[in-house]
Amino acid sequence: MSPPISRRGILRGTLGGGTVLVGESCAPKIVGERAEAPSLPAVGDAGPASHALEFTVNGAARSITVDPERTALELVRRDLGLTGCKEACGHGACGACSVLLDDVPVAACLLPAVALHRRKLVTVEGLAPAGELHPVQRAFMAEDALQCGFCTPGFVVAASAFYTRWRAEHGDAEPDRDTVAAALAGNLCRCAAYDGIIRAVQKASSGAYEKPPGPEPAPPRYDARDKVTGAAKYTVDVQLPGQLEGKILRSPHAHARVRKVDWSKALALPGVFGAVDLLHGGTTLRFVGQEIAAIAAIDARTAEAALAAIELDLEVLPPLVGMDAARAPGAAPVYPTRNTRKSAPNASEGPLLPLGWDGNVRGPFQLFSTAKLKARRAVARLREAPAEGVLVEGTYKTQVQCHTALEPHACVARWTDDDAVTVHLSTQGVHAVAEDIAERWGLRRDRVRVLAPYVGGGFGAKVTLQLECVAAVELARITARPVRVVLERREELTTGGLRPAQEIELAVATDRDGYLQGVTARAFADAGCSVGSTSTVLMRLMYAKAPKDIADWDVVNHAPPGKPFRGPGGPPVFWALEQAVDIAAERLELDPILLRKRFDPNPARNHLYDWALSLKTWRERQPAQSDRGRFRRGMGLAVGGWFYFVQPSARVQIDAGPDGIVASTACQDIGNGTRTVIAATVAAVLGLAPADIKVEIGDSSLVPGPTSGGSRTTASLVPAATMAAEQLRDELLERAEQLVGARGVAVPGGVRHPRGVVTWQQLLAGSPPLRFVGTRKRDKGGYFLPPMADIAPGRYVAGSLQIIEVEVDTRLGKIRVLRSHTGIAAGHIVAPALARSQALGGVIQGIGYALYEERRLDPNTGALLTGGLEDYRIPGIGDIGELDVHFVEDGYERVNGRSVGLAELVTLAPAAAIGNAVAHATGFRPRELPLRPDRVLQGLRG
Amino acid sequence: MTALELPTTLDAALGRPGELRAGGTDLTERRRLDLSRGTVIDLRDVPGLDAITWREGQLHLGALVTLAAVAAHPDVRARYPAVAATAAAVATPQIRARATVGGNLLQHVRCWYYRRPGADCLKSGGSGCPARSGDHLFHACFDLGPCVAPHPSSLATALLAYEVRVEVAGDREHTLASLYGDGSDARRHHMLPPGALLTGVLLGPPLAGEQAAYVRATSRARAEWPLVEVVVRLAVAAGRIDTARVTVGGVANLPLRLAAVEALLVGKPAHEATLAAAAAVAAEGAKPLTHTAYKLDLLRGAVLDALERALAHTPTAATPAKTPEPSPDKPATAEPT
Repeated sequence: MSPPISRRGILRGTLGGGTVLVGESCAPKIVGERAEAPSLPAVGDAGPASHALEFTVNGAARSITVDPERTALELVRRDLGLTGCKEACGHGACGACSVLLDDVPVAACLLPAVALHRRKLVTVEGLAPAGELHPVQRAFMAEDALQCGFCTPGFVVAASAFYTRWRAEHGDAEPDRDTVAAALAGNLCRCAAYDGIIRAVQKASSGAYEKPPGPEPAPPRYDARDKVTGAAKYTVDVQLPGQLEGKILRSPHAHARVRKVDWSKALALPGVFGAVDLLHGGTTLRFVGQEIAAIAAIDARTAEAALAAIELDLEVLPPLVGMDAARAPGAAPVYPTRNTRKSAPNASEGPLLPLGWDGNVRGPFQLFSTAKLKARRAVARLREAPAEGVLVEGTYKTQVQCHTALEPHACVARWTDDDAVTVHLSTQGVHAVAEDIAERWGLRRDRVRVLAPYVGGGFGAKVTLQLECVAAVELARITARPVRVVLERREELTTGGLRPAQEIELAVATDRDGYLQGVTARAFADAGCSVGSTSTVLMRLMYAKAPKDIADWDVVNHAPPGKPFRGPGGPPVFWALEQAVDIAAERLELDPILLRKRFDPNPARNHLYDWALSLKTWRERQPAQSDRGRFRRGMGLAVGGWFYFVQPSARVQIDAGPDGIVASTACQDIGNGTRTVIAATVAAVLGLAPADIKVEIGDSSLVPGPTSGGSRTTASLVPAATMAAEQLRDELLERAEQLVGARGVAVPGGVRHPRGVVTWQQLLAGSPPLRFVGTRKRDKGGYFLPPMADIAPGRYVAGSLQIIEVEVDTRLGKIRVLRSHTGIAAGHIVAPALARSQALGGVIQGIGYALYEERRLDPNTGALLTGGLEDYRIPGIGDIGELDVHFVEDGYERVNGRSVGLAELVTLAPAAAIGNAVAHATGFRPRELPLRPDRVLQGLRG
Repeated sequence: MTALELPTTLDAALGRPGELRAGGTDLTERRRLDLSRGTVIDLRDVPGLDAITWREGQLHLGALVTLAAVAAHPDVRARYPAVAATAAAVATPQIRARATVGGNLLQHVRCWYYRRPGADCLKSGGSGCPARSGDHLFHACFDLGPCVAPHPSSLATALLAYEVRVEVAGDREHTLASLYGDGSDARRHHMLPPGALLTGVLLGPPLAGEQAAYVRATSRARAEWPLVEVVVRLAVAAGRIDTARVTVGGVANLPLRLAAVEALLVGKPAHEATLAAAAAVAAEGAKPLTHTAYKLDLLRGAVLDALERALAHTPTAATPAKTPEPSPDKPATAEPT
């Protein structure tokens, strides 16, 4: 008996309840069935291995026999076990599977295995002799050209070929940025570590990273070596003995009633081991791709064949696709009853508050309004008497953006006992999800172990317990075998998570001197069949003293549900608000920064305003619409603000003894640098190098660690790690005193006493094992709200300021980002190289949101059209321009650790800055994202 | 389930039921999507199809020559710069390393209604075009037939600007026009009969002092299908445009040659006003779908861009040793317009 997936968000300490549970009732029982006597299939993945191949792989000759449908990717990963070669898109768009075929990079996913015959294959594992590094790998480490590391082997492979070619032709000359970008145009990085990648390849190609005479230097990122060599094992790389492959049957219709699901024929197929129901008692399907059932089989092709053999008896019903259809008069309600409304998935980070429904429109949510009437009156007055001030009104629209981390949602579950399960999971919260699993399956917490040593990106989509995990755990239980469920890219782009589309009707009123009198906003969110968008709270955060009448509505329709996505609600809100502020500045003929200073009491951002005003590039920007030719340049600015969270339960444990110092916590690295932050923090207390500290994370059996969501990892871990390290230091000081008979002082590396220095290692050599657990103490002055179920909103707001320069091609409608300047006020920066990379990645994701990314559904059937990374276009390495980051580290003195997190902050303002830059360049004021060429041309032509 | 054949001679590859595979960059995905079933006839071991050679002043591209090889070949770059530029702009370096001339010309459409599991459209055996009544933002603006997916081959757009003979084993020699038909048969991706094998293309001689350009209108810098693409070849003598070829892709279910644009160029002075007047008629005859009217504007802009860039080029000077002198351009033959 399993309870349903929790719909609680923040109250659980997990960020986001965007689990897909779309049933009529919350029947707790998951129904499954085991195949009576599973027999091995006649044909399958491993099927008629009829074609003999001879080739060399990483220098060694191999003979292997393969079946005709096998790709080189399958051969490399499964038959050869070389898992540095990653599958991410499956159709040649991302380059994560790049390998060298006769020294030329190719996409292994599109390469038939038989093409390897009599050829030379090199994977990331074979770029350098064992134990050594290729210069490109060394450069990636030193320049921190990576985050989560999932795409890194593919980049390294492609770059190694460029390195060889370039050096043969140009010697030690350094290639320019665009030359590198052209060579790496076949590789995508969702974390967008592109700036570091370009720098690394430029430097490696100019000979700057040839083999050093001494030992390899330690990289700024603690786990960089495992990531650049392909040694880092992600969930998708887990291969357990007897492991089955699970596949999910999904709704082919946007709206249908399920009469019957009959999997008997599927279970009778050879190689099929079991099936589980994923409807949870629900009978209505509300989007194309909704999970219905899952099958475990000997391999993926057998599982897919079994899915096709499931008999579905559906009553197909007319769908409502998109907000306009759902709001149309007479539109049938997507959730017709109170009970069904309660089953709507939660797209938000927080708990769902009870709100009214009007047909398919849920809301208003207006908890964060302040001086509502005053705001309304200020707007109404200016409508009557426009001369009394400036009123900027307009509707701003944004599109659905998909998280689409390059490692898809993936889970390998194995029951180790009747009441114990080990779950390998690509997750942002090993600790929280282990608790969710224990609760859901009624297990003792210590009988659940969630493992995630490396996670290939998350961005908010992997925070909670989700159906790939439910399916794997249930299938593993029913079949008594380990079961792996990995989403394909199309599934990832369907249910893997998305930022809702928004329409925001905004009015900003100022007096004649440019002082803010009021803001009114009505925000309508399209999170498909899910609810809970609360984006306008961010308008409360910004320009905090002004009267605000701000409200959110959900418009439910037959489309996939949303999940919290890096800065949930932020990019749409800032797209509207920050453009409106710029319009007001134009009308008032004021510098947009000076106007914001009038609006904005926030000390963090005021630091940033002063920084921006001091920038030559800002001071000397050309007047609006200076260029009159085909290519027009402009500069835009926007600011952002973000909450600051900590997880009070977060702990870091230090174990120390003769074997060294180990710091551990049940946190995980999703590319944000968790290991680095812990190692750097502990090492700083002891005056050691980070590499001297062994870090263990990604395991729920360790002391509780924070979920990597809500920009809380660093802010939660640094104080805990500091505390544990200080306890160790103090203990060792006492030991030193006993040892040498005099009180010493801690110095880098050990204890200085009257007769010399005794090192930490010497002190630990004769020591029994020591253990200290540091906690995350509350901030001075407490939190903004008391911690609710393990998450505390801080009293402080982090600030960002974004300047972007663009060039608009008025003939072809193309916008090119030339340069971006990012100012960040998020307190103390623990790991500068990593913080910079993360900040630039957030900016580049914002560029993608502004210019390219757009999930599109068929308007008639609700089917996903942008189902791959060819059609769902994330930014490439050539789309980023030049970027710089400026950190203002002042402030936040009352915050324990003085760090408040920046992951989300940095992605809020880029789209708005680009909108303002386009208007500055051309006079065309964009309202709708993304800024595709057709929209630009239309806007320019009026 | 499925069979794989690896013939070792051209003859052995002909007349067999199944689908031919060259680089596999298109077919591999279609196999996975179940858009291709049955036997695969892989050309891995068929010799003699992967060379770029001169034949009596004309350049022959073997069917198995990769796009990377086309883009990098010194003679192609020198004498057929628009072909080299087009090949270099396709897809990604990893794809170009495997994708072939033959495969690129005969690949299937990239329509997002076609390339998905359970596709139900004219090309996948269904009865209607869901793009026409659905989301066709990136589809045709010249509505030539029931299928409105843009023709996927950029190389075809470039080759259409030349006199091209398409060599086919197991069928007659084709022009690009006869290779693709008139776009009215939505079920076909090309007009070759089953069992035939495209072995290569022979490009007519380049013009004396040819100036060429390729423009690909996209959102991102690279690795993207074109919204509109244009190939221009101009021969200019004594300040006048003697010969003009303007072909476009991304706008119809066939690559198109813009005769109206060419007519306004030939015999006119080679200056900006001529180019502007010619580009202005680029969308003549277009019949956009509900959401593709923007492509008319884009097409005029891209044609003007390509004309300007072609005119600004200096004529290709250096002649590789083995390159014979080109013969004058022949009159146009019937090709899709």
